[in-house]
Amino acid sequence: MTSTSWLSLQGVGMRYGEGAQAALALESIDLAIAEREFVTIVGPSGCGKSTLLYLVGGFLRPTSGSLTLRGRAIVGPGPDRGIVFQRYSLFPWLTVRGNISYGLEEQRIPRAERDQIVGEHIRLVHLEGSEDRYPRQLSGGMQQRVALAQTLVCRPDILLMDEPFGALDAQTRRILQDEVRRIWQRDTKTVLFVTHDVEEAVALGTRIVVMSARPGRIKEVIQRDFDVAEGEEFEANPAFAALRLRVWRSVKEEVEAARV
Amino acid sequence: MRIVPLLLVAALWQAASMTGLLPKAVLPAFSDVVIALAGLVTSGEIFPDTAASFLRAGTGFVIAVVAGVVLGLLMARVRAVQRAVEPILLVIYPVPKPALIPLFMVWLGIGDVSKITVIALSCLLPVVVSTFNGARSVDEMLLWSARARGTPERRLLWRIVLPAALPQIATGVRTAIAIAIIVLVSSEFISAEHGLGFLIFSYGGVGADDAMLAVILYLTVLGYLLDRIYVAGLRHLMAWHEFAH
Repeated sequence: MTSTSWLSLQGVGMRYGEGAQAALALESIDLAIAEREFVTIVGPSGCGKSTLLYLVGGFLRPTSGSLTLRGRAIVGPGPDRGIVFQRYSLFPWLTVRGNISYGLEEQRIPRAERDQIVGEHIRLVHLEGSEDRYPRQLSGGMQQRVALAQTLVCRPDILLMDEPFGALDAQTRRILQDEVRRIWQRDTKTVLFVTHDVEEAVALGTRIVVMSARPGRIKEVIQRDFDVAEGEEFEANPAFAALRLRVWRSVKEEVEAARV
Repeated sequence: MRIVPLLLVAALWQAASMTGLLPKAVLPAFSDVVIALAGLVTSGEIFPDTAASFLRAGTGFVIAVVAGVVLGLLMARVRAVQRAVEPILLVIYPVPKPALIPLFMVWLGIGDVSKITVIALSCLLPVVVSTFNGARSVDEMLLWSARARGTPERRLLWRIVLPAALPQIATGVRTAIAIAIIVLVSSEFISAEHGLGFLIFSYGGVGADDAMLAVILYLTVLGYLLDRIYVAGLRHLMAWHEFAH
């Protein structure tokens, strides 16, 4: 198996509804993602970028084409693909500890081992002291940290993130972006990250997929040929600024096209 | 603070009785009702009837909660169950359940079984409806989140749907508590040898209006306390949810 076929989308199309009311959300998506890549998907709202993520997650079935992960067809959700939504990832009736422990309980991991893994992940996302709080008692940023830990304990092959920081303020978002990058570098996990924020797409993705307005197609795929370090003030990097502008112009065209 | 309007009503009632504005033949004085209640409580006379009533109401209520939650969840998750049960519930909904008591007595005897049945049937509806609505409105994303974390389909009901629906179920159960008391008294009016409803009916029948009102007041206070205890318990046990007042 070649590394480029690690996650593969071939001719994927998605149509919602039937007959005259049918809406084409995605059309002929071909995308190959290598292991350990950090791919961001950016596009105007309604371009089907979240739908694409849900297809990889197995929550939706494509109306055409096929998706494979490590050579096996994706037929439904599974703990090999962890997902963090913008909201509703967490179970409100479970504490921080209970939420993080959830996936381990479902895999029937013994108590002692579970406690150890949960403890490690609480430290990983800096939630010490909040273990016994409920999601509604946490800030939006803390909730997303819990969601991240809840996903990571399952040791997924790929991390799917659906505008996870879209509802957060700019400072919190920047901190969490650093955390995600740090986790990605430390565990060299594969990440597929959907966002409408161009800066976020460029700051995180080693490859940036720009999508066209509805029906969503892949407009262009841009390789980022420089690194962004943790805590780096990337605004000061001319290469970053240039790439950001390039991606922004590409997205802007689509936003304007969608408006017509 | 919340007790002030109640005290005001009691004071007005008492004043109306004392000035003769409200003759005792129409309504006994508030003080007479309180004295009668004190007598019933200090003599211990009222307690066996309280026990009999609460056993009936409690049994019917528990049956209704268990059956209602199970039925509501099944309706929400299994299309065939919803199709089969929903029309029946819609028809039963407006039926004045206490009116069925004579019929249940013919079928099930005049003892506790017929009373418990009608109490259970009456309490069932708010529980089924709230469970069904709660279970159906569970956010799809929560189910996705659970599936992606390894929960198989058959466990979703227990792991996600039931806990997510609990706040709504809790409000249905609260309604059921009030209904249990109302239907209990109605059923004991029709035929009983003990029970608070029986007491109200028999005191009323012999013209002992102060004692009759004393039992009603007693039931009112108990019902109020039950509701407060229930709500306080909920806030404690379901600290994860923000209940509206």
